[in-house]
Amino acid sequence: MNREELLNVAAEAGGLLLRSGAEIYRVEESMHRIFEAYGVRDGNVFAIPSCINVTINTDGGAPLTRVMRILDRQTNLDRVDRANDVCRRICREKPSYEEAMALLDSVRRRPVYGLPAQLLASPLVGFFFCLFFGGSLLDSVWAALCSVAMRLLLAWLERWHVNAFFCNLMGGAVSGFITMAAVLLGFAVNTDKIIIGALMNLVPGIVITTFMRDMMAGDVVAGLIRFSESLLVATAIALGVGVSLMLPRLIFGV
Amino acid sequence: MEYLQCLYAFASCVGFCILLHIRGSSIFWMSLGGAIGWFFYLLCAPAQNDIFQYFIGTLALAVYAEVMARVRRAPATGYLHVALLPMVPGGGIYYTMEYGIAGNADLFLETGMHTLSIAGSLALGILVVSSVARLAALMGEERRARRGCRGE
Repeated sequence: MNREELLNVAAEAGGLLLRSGAEIYRVEESMHRIFEAYGVRDGNVFAIPSCINVTINTDGGAPLTRVMRILDRQTNLDRVDRANDVCRRICREKPSYEEAMALLDSVRRRPVYGLPAQLLASPLVGFFFCLFFGGSLLDSVWAALCSVAMRLLLAWLERWHVNAFFCNLMGGAVSGFITMAAVLLGFAVNTDKIIIGALMNLVPGIVITTFMRDMMAGDVVAGLIRFSESLLVATAIALGVGVSLMLPRLIFGV
Repeated sequence: MEYLQCLYAFASCVGFCILLHIRGSSIFWMSLGGAIGWFFYLLCAPAQNDIFQYFIGTLALAVYAEVMARVRRAPATGYLHVALLPMVPGGGIYYTMEYGIAGNADLFLETGMHTLSIAGSLALGILVVSSVARLAALMGEERRARRGCRGE
C-alpha cells in the first residue's frame, strides 16, 4: 500500500468511527495505529466531531493532507464496535488497499434497524420509562402512544434533513399535545409522567457520556462541541414541551 | 416493590439498544448495565442524598461497562452510552421547564440547579472510572512493551 492509499484507508476508517458516534481519542488512536502498522511514524491527526484533518509525508518528504468533513452523524454503536474490530484487524494483518477498503465497506453495509423496528422500540422506551418514573399502567400506554407518534414524525422530518434542534422541538411538542389531548378527552392521567416517559426517546441526543470521555481524554474542543449540542437538544425538548403545554392552556384553559 | 424499577430500566434500555442499532447478545449485556446502575442507586437510598446516589450508581455502571468491554472485546462506549440513559435526569429537565412556564422563578432555579448537579455527578462518576481504566490499560501496555497494534 502506498502512502496515498494508506492515507485514504486511515481517513475512511476514522470517518466511519466518527460518523457512528465514537469518541475523538478512539478515532485519532485508530488512525495512528493504522499508520504505525504500515511503518509510517510521522502521521498527524486532528479530529473534532464534525471534521477530521490528517497529514502524512510521502516517501519523498512532501506532505499529503486530507480533510474530511463529517456532516451526517448518527449514533450507531454496532458500527463503532465493528469499525473498531476492523481497525485492529487492519493493524494485525496489514491487508492490501483493496482488502482494507472492502473490510471497511463491509462495516458500512451492516444492516440497521428500519422504521418498523424503531416503531416497536420507541414505545418500549416510553412505556417502561413512564413506569420507571412512577406512572400508572394507563399513563404508560399513553406514553407509548406518544412515543410512536413522535418516532413517526421524526422519521418524516429526517427524510427532509430538518436540523436536530427543530426535530427535537417538534418531538417534544407532539408528546405534549397528545398528552394534553388525553387530558381534554377526560382520561385521568398524570401529565408529567407521560411526557417524561415519552421524552426519554429523545434523550440519546444528550451525549453526556461521549462529551465527558472526550474532555477527559484531553479533547476539550471536541468535548465542548458535544456539550453545546447536548445543551441545544435539551433546550429544544424543553421548548417544544413548553409550547405544547402553553397552547392548550391558552385556548381551553385546562 | 421499589426494585421493580430495575426491571423497567432494563426493558427501556432494550428499546434504546434498538434505537442505537445494536445487534445480537450485546443488547442483553448493555441493558443489564442500566439495571445495575439503578440497582446501586436504590441500594444507596439510606444516604438520603440523590446526588450521591446518582454518583454511586454511575460508578457501578461504569465499572461494569469497563469490565464488559474487556471481557467482550468491544469499546466501552456502547455499554456506558446505554446504561447511563436511565440515569439521565429527564424528570428534572421536565419539572424545570414546567416551573419556568409557570413563572415560578425560585422553584425553576432550584430544580434547574439540582438537575445540573445530577448531570455533574453522572459526569464525575464516568470520569473517575474511565480515568482509572485508561491508566490501567496504559500501564498494562507499558508492561507488555509491545509495539504495533494494541488492543484496548
